[in-house]
Amino acid sequence: MRWQFGQTRSQAAERGEGAYPLPADAAHPSSVAASGAPIVEMRGITKRFGPVVANNHVDLTLREGEIHAVLGENGAGKTTLMNILSGMYQPDAGTILIRGRETKIATPADALRQGIGTVYQHFTLVPNLTVIENVALGAEPGFLLDLAAAERRLAQLLTDFELNASPHTEIRHLSLGQRQRVEIIKVLSRGSRVLLLDEPTSVLTPVEVEGLFAILRRLRANGVAVVLITHKLEEVLDVSDRVTILRQGRKIGEIGPEVISSGDRAAIRQRIVEMMFGGAPAEAPSASARASGAANGSTLLALQDVTALGDRGEVAVRGLSLELRAGEVFGIAGVDGNGQKELGEVIAGQRHVTRGRVILDGQDITNKGVAACSRLGIGYVTDDRLGEGCVPGMSVAENTVLKMVTRSPFSKGFWLNRGAIEAEARRLIGQFDVKTPSTATPITALSGGNIQKLLLARELAMNPRLLVCNKPTNGLDLKTAQFVLRTLREQADAGKAVLLISSELDELMQVSDRIGVIYNGQIVGIFERAAADLEAIGHLMLGGRERGVA
Amino acid sequence: MNIGGIDLDTFLTAMLATGLLRAVPLVLAALGEAVAERAGLLNLGIEGMMLNGCFFGFYAAYRTDSMVVGMVAGILAALVLGLVFGVLTITLRVDQVLVGIAITIFSLGFTGYLFRDLLGGRNVSADVHPLRISIPGLRDIPIIGKALFDQQAIFYLSWALVPVFAFLLKRTRFGLNVRAVGENPFAADAAGVDVVRVRYLAIVIGGIMAGFAGAYLAVADLRIFTEGMTVGSGFIALAITMLGRWNPYRIVIGAVLFGMLRALGDGLQVIGVDIRTEFIGMMPYIGIMLALVVLAGRTALPSALGVPYVRGHR
Repeated sequence: MRWQFGQTRSQAAERGEGAYPLPADAAHPSSVAASGAPIVEMRGITKRFGPVVANNHVDLTLREGEIHAVLGENGAGKTTLMNILSGMYQPDAGTILIRGRETKIATPADALRQGIGTVYQHFTLVPNLTVIENVALGAEPGFLLDLAAAERRLAQLLTDFELNASPHTEIRHLSLGQRQRVEIIKVLSRGSRVLLLDEPTSVLTPVEVEGLFAILRRLRANGVAVVLITHKLEEVLDVSDRVTILRQGRKIGEIGPEVISSGDRAAIRQRIVEMMFGGAPAEAPSASARASGAANGSTLLALQDVTALGDRGEVAVRGLSLELRAGEVFGIAGVDGNGQKELGEVIAGQRHVTRGRVILDGQDITNKGVAACSRLGIGYVTDDRLGEGCVPGMSVAENTVLKMVTRSPFSKGFWLNRGAIEAEARRLIGQFDVKTPSTATPITALSGGNIQKLLLARELAMNPRLLVCNKPTNGLDLKTAQFVLRTLREQADAGKAVLLISSELDELMQVSDRIGVIYNGQIVGIFERAAADLEAIGHLMLGGRERGVA
Repeated sequence: MNIGGIDLDTFLTAMLATGLLRAVPLVLAALGEAVAERAGLLNLGIEGMMLNGCFFGFYAAYRTDSMVVGMVAGILAALVLGLVFGVLTITLRVDQVLVGIAITIFSLGFTGYLFRDLLGGRNVSADVHPLRISIPGLRDIPIIGKALFDQQAIFYLSWALVPVFAFLLKRTRFGLNVRAVGENPFAADAAGVDVVRVRYLAIVIGGIMAGFAGAYLAVADLRIFTEGMTVGSGFIALAITMLGRWNPYRIVIGAVLFGMLRALGDGLQVIGVDIRTEFIGMMPYIGIMLALVVLAGRTALPSALGVPYVRGHR
């Protein structure tokens, strides 16, 4: 019966528990700890999804007591490789050796039994179960669920990882950082000696990132093989002993602890960037703004005392006034959830304004609706690419013309013009260098960066006077992010107005002419870029009083 | 006190007794449905499964004069349909709503056909002798005594299943797996839970309970079969499951309230209150709809309800 095959796993859990509590002197310098024997060897791993080769003969060796970063652009095949090791996918070719023995990992349960634990980017916790129930899920032996016993057994782990929450709290009440700890506790409690983490820092605050790294270092000291999948270079250098770089599904290179511990970060960084982007280092601030003050165009958009509600009925935009000039990139800086998303939606005509007026080039467009705003030349690129930006089940071509499909030449009356749609999709794919096997490919088969390019291309194809972009570089690799920022800058230079909403101050500083800080639904300060002071902006973003406003 | 020549105590006793009797099949079906839905399976075939339970239960009981044989036959018939539902929705990933409706419509026609073919469409009655347990002392309590403590053995068994299901869902590993699979099958899979297996077990339990409910109705309670005799009970059980938010005890509340509403209708007729019978028959269903409207916003469905699970696709 179902409840009897937990037996082998409980034994594994006991084996694993022997390794805890963690030693107190856990904070080894990386070069000392990284010397372990290989636990996992992946050899010649190949995985295809239809025509896309996600992994192409990739080798990867994971050693005891080593933090191993797997780096690559979006779509380089990092996550696929990890999913193969965690039993979610089966490779089309290649072998996996665990402690020298060839092993087939058929299911996630298999991987856990082999001591391979995975913390997925989208956490695998059940929100309405408690911490202890989540940890016990799939692990506890016997017919009856003895949560008290599970709690006793896990007490040490729970203390070690400083969860700061009762194990009887439902997951949905925990912060993302806490949830991640529960994930780690969950896999360690199953006796994992290999810990895979997929983009573990993307949801964390800087303080939480430090906390996570401290945990990873302790695990390393304890002999665990940690795999860090990420595209954030600096983090890698902070914590890793070894780096493997993937590009377009292939392993490009590996940098060992002897180099990493040499301490010459600039050289290592340079080398990694070359490997990631194929010799041409990412053009860093090449897309920077022209001398400030160039954007002296006339006012294109004016918001006057605008108030709008958020999805839960709370006041999200609070009597906000703003003027946007033609020819400028106006950056909106703010911590997520301060009304910037709603602000973007108000301008795009997607969100009802309860008070105030929105005026585009002298014309009142308050609550005119999306279609009217779009027709009047307002383009909007959402931050929710898959949920709102496109229709996941439809092809690249269909998604390309989604917003223009009622216009000539894409349709005539009742009928679609397939040829014109196809041609337009090809044109934009070429122009924006979107990597897709064909125009008929479902858009979900594309990587995040390529979807973003397509969404941007789609808006620009409609030749808007005003473009609103919400976090357009979120989750993109450096190269694509720079491409997007450069494109926005070019649009402004061509006389259009761009509203760039972002939580990355660096990119706002890079392309904006002016930066407005949004806090609690209001613009609390506007800076000319030349006069902008990162510290002052950061201060305002966190709710500080106005200071040094230009 | 007398109303229209009928003693109030007798009236209340009859109402309570009838209400509880009417609630039994709803509770049984809803308990099974709670497990299925918690595992992510919306079983709209429940009405059809009950109807099959009615017919096969009744026919077996009619042929053998054995209540036990009848109950077992009814349960098996619905269990088979539960497996059909499982194969189609879990393994082949056909849409659950479609499969559920198909099973219900099929069952209506199928039992109707068998009824005419095997019983000539006659309303015969099964000659079964259910074991009656009457508890001395307790049965003499005014009003509730006869309703609660002078009933068939199977009546007590049915109510005893309520805490059993509550325990199953809350305190067993299987229950935890069920709750996880319905909420986030990806998480369950990653934790080593066999999602497919848990869902099959859940729909088998759902089928068994729907069959039990149907067999109870036709064999233990009414002892006859008529075409379409469940008249929507399965769907009512479905609504009660959601109103009770998959908690067996809250399900009981909904079922008993519905049962009482129906009993009230019957009771009013007996007393001779001048209301059209059609109106009275309609009342409990209106009650359910009102309850659904009032409580609709507060029910958070299991996140993965109705969604097939494919490993690696999200």
